[in-house]
Amino acid sequence: MKIVVAYKWAADPQEATVAADGQVDFSRAKSAVSDYDAVAITVARHLGDTHGADVVGLTVGGPEVATGLATKAALSRGLDALMVVADPALTAAGSTGTAQALATALAGVDDIAVLITGDSSVDVGAKLVPAVVGGLLGWPVLTEVTAVAIEPGALVVERAVSGGTEQLRIDGPAVLAVATDAATVKAPGMKDVLAAAKKPVQQLPADPVVADGTLRSTARLSGPARRGIQISTDDPAAAAAELVSALRADGVLIGGQQ
Amino acid sequence: MAPLTDEQRLVRDSVREFADAEVAPLAAQIDIEHRPPLETVPKLAELGLLGMIVPAEYGGSGTDTLSYIIAIEELARACATTAVMVEAHTSLATWPILAFGTAQQRDRWLPALATGEKLGAFALTEPGAGTDAGAVATTAVREGEEYVLNGQKVFITGGGYAEVFIVIARTSHEGAPHKGLSAFIVERDTPGFTVGEGERKLGIRASSTPPLMFSDVRIPAGALLGNEGDGFKIAMATLDGGRTGIAAQAVGIAQGALEASIAYAKQRVQFGKPIGAQQAIQWMLADMSTDIEAGRQLTYLAAGLEDSGEPFGEAAARAKLFCGQMASRVTGMAIQIHGGNGYTEAYPVERAYRDAKITEIYEGTNEVQRMIIAKSLLR
Ligand SMILES: Cc1cc2nc3c(=O)[nH]c(=O)nc-3n(C[C@H](O)[C@H](O)[C@H](O)COP(=O)(O)OP(=O)(O)OC[C@H]3O[C@@H](n4cnc5c(N)ncnc54)[C@H](O)[C@@H]3O)c2cc1C
Repeated sequence: MKIVVAYKWAADPQEATVAADGQVDFSRAKSAVSDYDAVAITVARHLGDTHGADVVGLTVGGPEVATGLATKAALSRGLDALMVVADPALTAAGSTGTAQALATALAGVDDIAVLITGDSSVDVGAKLVPAVVGGLLGWPVLTEVTAVAIEPGALVVERAVSGGTEQLRIDGPAVLAVATDAATVKAPGMKDVLAAAKKPVQQLPADPVVADGTLRSTARLSGPARRGIQISTDDPAAAAAELVSALRADGVLIGGQQ
Repeated sequence: MAPLTDEQRLVRDSVREFADAEVAPLAAQIDIEHRPPLETVPKLAELGLLGMIVPAEYGGSGTDTLSYIIAIEELARACATTAVMVEAHTSLATWPILAFGTAQQRDRWLPALATGEKLGAFALTEPGAGTDAGAVATTAVREGEEYVLNGQKVFITGGGYAEVFIVIARTSHEGAPHKGLSAFIVERDTPGFTVGEGERKLGIRASSTPPLMFSDVRIPAGALLGNEGDGFKIAMATLDGGRTGIAAQAVGIAQGALEASIAYAKQRVQFGKPIGAQQAIQWMLADMSTDIEAGRQLTYLAAGLEDSGEPFGEAAARAKLFCGQMASRVTGMAIQIHGGNGYTEAYPVERAYRDAKITEIYEGTNEVQRMIIAKSLLR
């Protein structure tokens, strides 16, 4: 039985710089396992340990995802083995192309109990990939997953829903996108770093990549990114009330007490 | 220098991730409280940072020296105290057992030290024996199958919590003074062994640095490390490696101060623009980063020589001499860039400035490093 975790080797937006004209420059940003995918690996590792299953990483992307540094960085986070689809054509792949490449790779692997993914990628954040992979494979897809258990022929999944949690029993295999706080990520231990070089990495060929469209132009947002809300602080009490009602309207604040 | 291996780069990433999450948030408070961050010890152990240089067969992480040095640098970037806690435990207490211990001593102590079950310390300095280490007056007298220790040590890093001490004591008054010294492994709970109050210091204020008192402390003859008379040799070999560790601590302190200065230079506005737009500030930042990189290369060179089994004592002395002074220079400039804010406890560069100075003093002062280098040049 295999637990597969899809992860993205992505440039860290914290290290990107924004020029005065609003252009974001990723050229000096270091790449790493995308933040929320590290949560997915942690959840998968725990599941693998509980059920004695192998935890296999899967990543697709440009040639940089197959470098020793990239593969060892992922393996040191607790994976047993890795499958990599690295192709220059995947460098700029969008959500559809990425999902297609992941689905093709997964179709060739047997005995998969579940595919676990992060909530979204740290650099794009579209939250599309798990859904498209599930659609292509005909597997159920659940998002906001906070806990998983494997039962014979089924998965018991807990997910966060508005105001609480729900538990579901579904037939596997399935695609589960874990919530951003589903597990606490710990830095890889020194032994894990050294062990990474000894773990198997399988390189898989890439199929022609589905194009998601090419970028024509970007435009800068003017004013606050959300809905153009501006609150004057001339009257602090009125400003506070206005802020609260704006947060309430956005669903950030919930419950009684107007 | 060869580029870092994937593993060395991943050690840096991992320790930085850990230090940002677990070490940096405590650094200012423990400094104010003069309190060692003992709550971090189990986390350091879990990550494998307390036994990096110890082979896996003894429960260590089994990394190379350079990886260990990078880890010290990254810890110091967040907190100089946490860095020296790990450094003294590893370089000064664990290493001599690894290098000079019998099979029995290694089996007994290394697993406990490597996993952080017990922390170690190194006790050489005395009120009358600082730079002149050969003047150690603490005595160890053989009585049957035991040695009896009497005397006093001062400034012992980790003394407040360590359970295993490498103690340098005099076993002979014959011949050259340094030839009469021997090294012992002493357990904290031995009757007659007491630990005094920690010193209140200028920097690394959270690090425990108390005196130790030995009053008829009876230890088994099997606690002798190496042979009688090897104590000075063991202490000097131990400090050779330790110096690379302190150089790394200095690099980390300076790097943290540089990063804080860059952030401040971008954000502090005077005369209608960020101060980083002023060439005066830009030049300071450029000099700081150049100084740090030079120190880092000297430090990595010493660690690399140790890893390849070549003599590295002189390289370690150069690294420590340069990096100690470099860290003092760089943290001074960091305060200058921060202006009045830099002089307050509200900004981390104030602590970095105080922490940097010790790297010019312990594990051999600047003057001692110059003596080592010059002796080798004029050989
Ligand atoms: C925070 C802290 C932690 C420490 N941790 C430890 C520890 O864990 N274990 C341990 O054993 N010790 C430890 N020490 C002691 C430290 O190593 C000594 O303080 C240091 O070696 C200097 O010795 P000293 O203080 O006696 O200075 P001194 O030897 O008295 O030196 C005073 C000055 O004279 C100079 N000087 C002395 N002799 C010469 C010479 N021949 N030529 C030129 N200049 C000379 C020195 O360089 C210095 O500038 C620690 C000290 C501190 C402050």
